[in-house]
Amino acid sequence: MSRLAAQKLVQRRLLAPSLNCTRAYHPIAKDYVAPVTIAPLTYTTDSLQSKLLDHCLAHNVPKYGFKESAISESIKELGFSPSLISVLGASNSPSFVHSSPAVLELIKYHLVTKRHALTKDIPQENIDHNNGLPSLEELLIKRLQMDIPVGGQLTDLFAQLSVPSQYLMETALPELFNLADDMIYFSSERDHFDMAWYTKRLGVAFTYATSKLFMSQDTSPNFEKTMEFAHDKLHNVMKLGDYYNNAEEFAWYTLMVSVNLVKSQLARK
Amino acid sequence: MYRRLITNRATTTATRALSGSSAKMAAAKTTTKKKSSPALFEQLSPAQKAYLDRVVRVDQAGELGADYIYRGQIYVLSQKHPHLRPILDHMWKQEVHHRATFNNLQLKHRTRPSLITPLWKLGATVMGVGPALLSSEAAMACTEAVETVIGNHYNEQLRCLSNQFDMSKTDGTTDQPPEIKKLTDTIKEFRDQELEHLDTAIRNDSHLAVPYKLLTEGIKSVCKVAIWTAERV
Repeated sequence: MSRLAAQKLVQRRLLAPSLNCTRAYHPIAKDYVAPVTIAPLTYTTDSLQSKLLDHCLAHNVPKYGFKESAISESIKELGFSPSLISVLGASNSPSFVHSSPAVLELIKYHLVTKRHALTKDIPQENIDHNNGLPSLEELLIKRLQMDIPVGGQLTDLFAQLSVPSQYLMETALPELFNLADDMIYFSSERDHFDMAWYTKRLGVAFTYATSKLFMSQDTSPNFEKTMEFAHDKLHNVMKLGDYYNNAEEFAWYTLMVSVNLVKSQLARK
Repeated sequence: MYRRLITNRATTTATRALSGSSAKMAAAKTTTKKKSSPALFEQLSPAQKAYLDRVVRVDQAGELGADYIYRGQIYVLSQKHPHLRPILDHMWKQEVHHRATFNNLQLKHRTRPSLITPLWKLGATVMGVGPALLSSEAAMACTEAVETVIGNHYNEQLRCLSNQFDMSKTDGTTDQPPEIKKLTDTIKEFRDQELEHLDTAIRNDSHLAVPYKLLTEGIKSVCKVAIWTAERV
């Protein structure tokens, strides 16, 4: 009976998908019915769409790129109905600057599932940033390595993602933020409760995006140069944060010293 | 009988026990199973999540403000009025604890801190130092005004938490999720302490501050604007 109730709850959630792409408050997951979808996607992992897009990403995107032809090839190979291609793109509004809503869905699926896969093996409860978590760099490299199979098609991906459009604001940028947020939360990196919260996420997102851009032009075997680049870039960005912290600490120290100097001079009189 | 089975008595008694109480054992099994997986709550709706996001952010910013206000007051008043030092220290320590609590909540639930945190720091320092420079009574009037607004604001949050978070569970009942109960308890405790500070301020002559009406009303409206902004930005 409780299983039935659970199913009902899940169905109700499915009928009213979240309109809000950005993930605000994270409740304590163990007290709630596990969601059957991965945040911004509106279909379950065992749905027709997921099967098709998984197949497409694994087999046809490396060959044809992020294009409609890759999707239709997958539809043919899996023996689905050709009309499925218009079902796929239903949650994306058509736009002049993109090729097709179905391709946008393919890209969204790629971004979301890869992000999910990155941290799925890490226990989600009782995160302790001091032990048992991978470093930020390990996660960054792991995420970049996930894209090695589609390495030759990244220019295409970038072209679709960076066009100023509704898709950029509703999917591309929020996904970039979610990725940076996940990488920081699930790594041994220290998190913050002031402006550093924003700057650290900005820095990680910037590092990831530039590394990916580098990767799209990289011809070295197994993208070794990209991994090297990402390592150096992350190191530099984090050093920038250290510079800022040291400068702030020094400024505060100088202020206190000068105030106390003035005070002591006044007390001498 | 079940225990007898475990303690490995003669096999005959054991088998008899097994056949006799199989129904009982099955019942025991289901109860243990239930214990390991209690009824779960329905997922929070986007609106509920957005509200909690707001609560954590505005309370974190507010407690940060309180921390800096008391710091400013202590910095100015501890020299001129040494008798106020222990009172201010006591209140400040409570605010530091409040702030640490909400900082932890922010990290745990992965909400973002207020984007204009530096502005809150600066504003709160000014609000602490400014009235304290006027007189110790003015500082107390400032405390009174701030704690009045904060107390009301916490009460509003408690009202919403108790109204809007009855979630249905998989076993058909409705209840509040444990994290909501915990948050409610935290806010209740903090509200009581803030109102204690309000009483302390009145006991220490806040009503004798010279432009009393102007000070308290001005600070109250500044606090309300700050709360409105911190919820959103």
